[in-house]
Amino acid sequence: MADNSDKQAEMFSLMLDSSDDEAPEEVTFEDSKTQALRSMKQALDTARREKELLKEKRRKRQELFQEQKKRKLLPADVLEEIDSTSSKKPRQSEDEAEEEQQKGEGEKELRKKKKKRSGKLAHSRILKGNYTVATLKERSMASFQQQAAEDFIQSRLYGPGSCRTTSNELLSLQNKKGWNKSAAVQFVKKDWACKEKAKAEKLKKRWIHKQQISSC
Amino acid sequence: MMMLEKKNRKNQFRFKVLNVVPDVFQPVDLVAEKFIDCKGNRSKMGEFKVHRVRFFDYMPSAIRAMAFNRRSERLAVARADGAVEIFNFSDNYFQEKVIPGQDSRAVEALCWVDQRLFSAGLNGEITEYDLENLRPRCTMAAFGGPIWTISSNNRGTMLALGCEDGTVKMFEVLEERVQFQRNFDRQKGRIISLSWHPSGTLIAAGMMDMIRVFDAETGHATHRLLVERGVGASKSREVVVWSVAFLSDHTIVSGDSAGKVQIWDGVTGTLLRTHLVTKWDVLALSVSQDQSSLVAGTSEGTVIQFQLISSTVGQQDKEWVRTRTFKNHSHDVRALAHTETAVVSGGMDTQLVVRPLLDKVEKNTQESSLRKIVFPHRSLVCCAKKAGLLLFQFPEHLELWRLGESEGHGKPGDSLTVKTKPEKLIQLKRKGEDHICCSALSPCGGWMAYSTVSSVRLYRLQYNNNNIGITKVSRLPKDLCSVHQLCFSSDSSRLFASSSHSSVIVVALNQQECTYLHTLKPKSSSRQPVHLLFASEDGKWLATANTDCEIHIYNLDKLKLHCTVPVYSSYPTAIAIHPLTSNLVVVHADQQIFEYSLEQKEYTEWSRKLQKLGLHSLWLERDTPVTHITFNPRNPAHIILHDMFMFCIIDQSLPLPEAKTLLYNQMTLRSVPEPERIRHSHAFKICKNFQHLLCVRLLEDHSLVVVERPLLDIMSQLPAPVRQKKFAT
Repeated sequence: MADNSDKQAEMFSLMLDSSDDEAPEEVTFEDSKTQALRSMKQALDTARREKELLKEKRRKRQELFQEQKKRKLLPADVLEEIDSTSSKKPRQSEDEAEEEQQKGEGEKELRKKKKKRSGKLAHSRILKGNYTVATLKERSMASFQQQAAEDFIQSRLYGPGSCRTTSNELLSLQNKKGWNKSAAVQFVKKDWACKEKAKAEKLKKRWIHKQQISSC
Repeated sequence: MMMLEKKNRKNQFRFKVLNVVPDVFQPVDLVAEKFIDCKGNRSKMGEFKVHRVRFFDYMPSAIRAMAFNRRSERLAVARADGAVEIFNFSDNYFQEKVIPGQDSRAVEALCWVDQRLFSAGLNGEITEYDLENLRPRCTMAAFGGPIWTISSNNRGTMLALGCEDGTVKMFEVLEERVQFQRNFDRQKGRIISLSWHPSGTLIAAGMMDMIRVFDAETGHATHRLLVERGVGASKSREVVVWSVAFLSDHTIVSGDSAGKVQIWDGVTGTLLRTHLVTKWDVLALSVSQDQSSLVAGTSEGTVIQFQLISSTVGQQDKEWVRTRTFKNHSHDVRALAHTETAVVSGGMDTQLVVRPLLDKVEKNTQESSLRKIVFPHRSLVCCAKKAGLLLFQFPEHLELWRLGESEGHGKPGDSLTVKTKPEKLIQLKRKGEDHICCSALSPCGGWMAYSTVSSVRLYRLQYNNNNIGITKVSRLPKDLCSVHQLCFSSDSSRLFASSSHSSVIVVALNQQECTYLHTLKPKSSSRQPVHLLFASEDGKWLATANTDCEIHIYNLDKLKLHCTVPVYSSYPTAIAIHPLTSNLVVVHADQQIFEYSLEQKEYTEWSRKLQKLGLHSLWLERDTPVTHITFNPRNPAHIILHDMFMFCIIDQSLPLPEAKTLLYNQMTLRSVPEPERIRHSHAFKICKNFQHLLCVRLLEDHSLVVVERPLLDIMSQLPAPVRQKKFAT
């Protein structure tokens, strides 16, 4: 607070210094008018110049991007092919959407997503070597949603936190609690537990070998 | 032969015979089995070489949903592969109809509206089924994303759907189709389950973390019941309300993924009672008709019953008390139905279990026994008797196998050495998205056919030394489009296909092509499909049986109807015509056996004798139907039939068993000395050595083919069950 007041006092004193001793200047109306006009003109000029500078900059940047884009894009005829087929499909879906009774948010999202996808197709990179572009059979929204729903059930029932075990465990539990206890299922079935069986075989061979060495 | 090959080069596939031994437990063995007949001699009459086949990798599909129709006593069951099966609960739980599945159809819920069956699935469509032609009648997209649940109101006028996008959609049930009416207020989560209040004015919807109650007239949500999440680690996951039930006293019962069954007051929206029944999910709920009992199915495989009883005798205030726990499944129970007398459950272990409630039925009777339906009630295996080939029908492909050979003889019970191993000759994938409905192989092995709901395909098979060629017959008669059953004549010159309205299409086969001959029509106006076809050995007769219990016999020489067997109230499960006597033998779902003479058009003497005496009680108590009847060329008095657990040779020359005699007497006969055997033996010779039987056939060289499907094989391929820690294991 004290500093501020000091500074203010200084400024004030400076101003007073300059204007205190001398008589005020005589400035005619025309002079001040021209001066005002000049300053305005200057301001406008600078603004215009800045605008132009910005414009230049933008134009240059745009050109640069276009250059880069040209380098990245696929040959024109291939693009044409993709564009023609992708433009057909969004149009079809829009027609269908109009025929529907309900126009919920879902349909709008559908259209947006399809447009995005066709847009993405246009920005693909050129890779080295020969390759051909083929339009894939487009999976409809319904099958994506169906897959997502099936994944939901799968994750809720079998996903993390679901505390599941294997069929082998279940069968061996049944075996242990049953009346007739028999061999574990993984040894009875041929195509189960191949690794364990291989391990058991190796151990057996090693043991036999040891026995032979120790005997002779 | 060379000329033909050149012409048909386009359609011909060449396969080299593959040497595969896929049998799991032991190599296919030929076992010498002996049956003791009254003379006690080890004659060729009773001795059979048995091909024990275990390389049919049939895998049933998990049960996903079910719906019980009280008026017609039919249970509709939807499987994970999209197939829908109808079981008749008033006729020994016989699997009456099967509508094959489809690749993209993932059925999540089933619903009966009068006699019409609707399903809704994750593909976002409602499907109505044509139960007379065994295929989908029409499908309609609901435009709400995957549909999780479908339910109709009591009057049968409206269908409510719960969709992925959070809307409950109302569809009006019209005569020929369903029509969209309106959406309810859209919610922020998916609608997993729905239940109508019996009055039809309110709907309770189970969602994520909450239950919403809607006013059915305005479509606005009135109450929001918040469901608590699980404890511990599951606190961070949303709780899914898998199932809700709205009772007439405005009580809402919910089952959720935190393992709780909760009772709510639907008027005030408050929680009345919580029952923690399992550590895993409660996946299904079902309420009885009188609303005094409800059952909940869990991921553990248990089914828990709650009953509305008063805690003290004589008091008026009743509450829901947990009473019984049934553990009849090893895997998750995903579908439940509460009938008047029983609880029906099904889930990931693919078995349909009917558990009668002992307070509704008499104890220790046939009615009160637990029923497990594991395999289909029809034959999935075709056998070419002359060529020694087997055709296995899977939902998505067919496999053709040649049986192995063995030398030598042995004592009964021995395993014979296998000289040539069985080989898989062809694996044929079906075209399109529809699953295979039926298939057939001609007795000579030269023709193979299968049908789906949309098409029929016929193939010609050629065998040159070690190569087998398969050619598709391209131009089929137009009438052969939607067929329920296929059968070749014994000389492989004709193909019979059952079509709509119980009619049968007859098609002639020559060399590489087939031409339409005739359509056989019954006199009755039945619209039901024909599910059994049998062509006699001499090529003169064709027997058909339909799901209206009608059996028609056609004379193939004149190509017209010969006679209709008097209708018996139970479904025919197997029919056959004796090659010599031309007697028709029929076995029904209630295990009754009839023999009808086609020449005289009346029941035979033996059949009347059997009916008068009555079948043995143990025979009638069997819970799986007889799916095939065949005859023994070396002994005209033999009838060979089989069900899932036994095969039986009925010797018509022997006396019938009395009610008090031992039915399964093979073991006793073996232990008793020869002169005594005559006293003890009777007509029914039953062998229970092989289980579970999918097919028993007699080849031309008098060897038996027995196709078994061990349950252990199926169990080992099921998805993961829950981990349960048991004491001392």
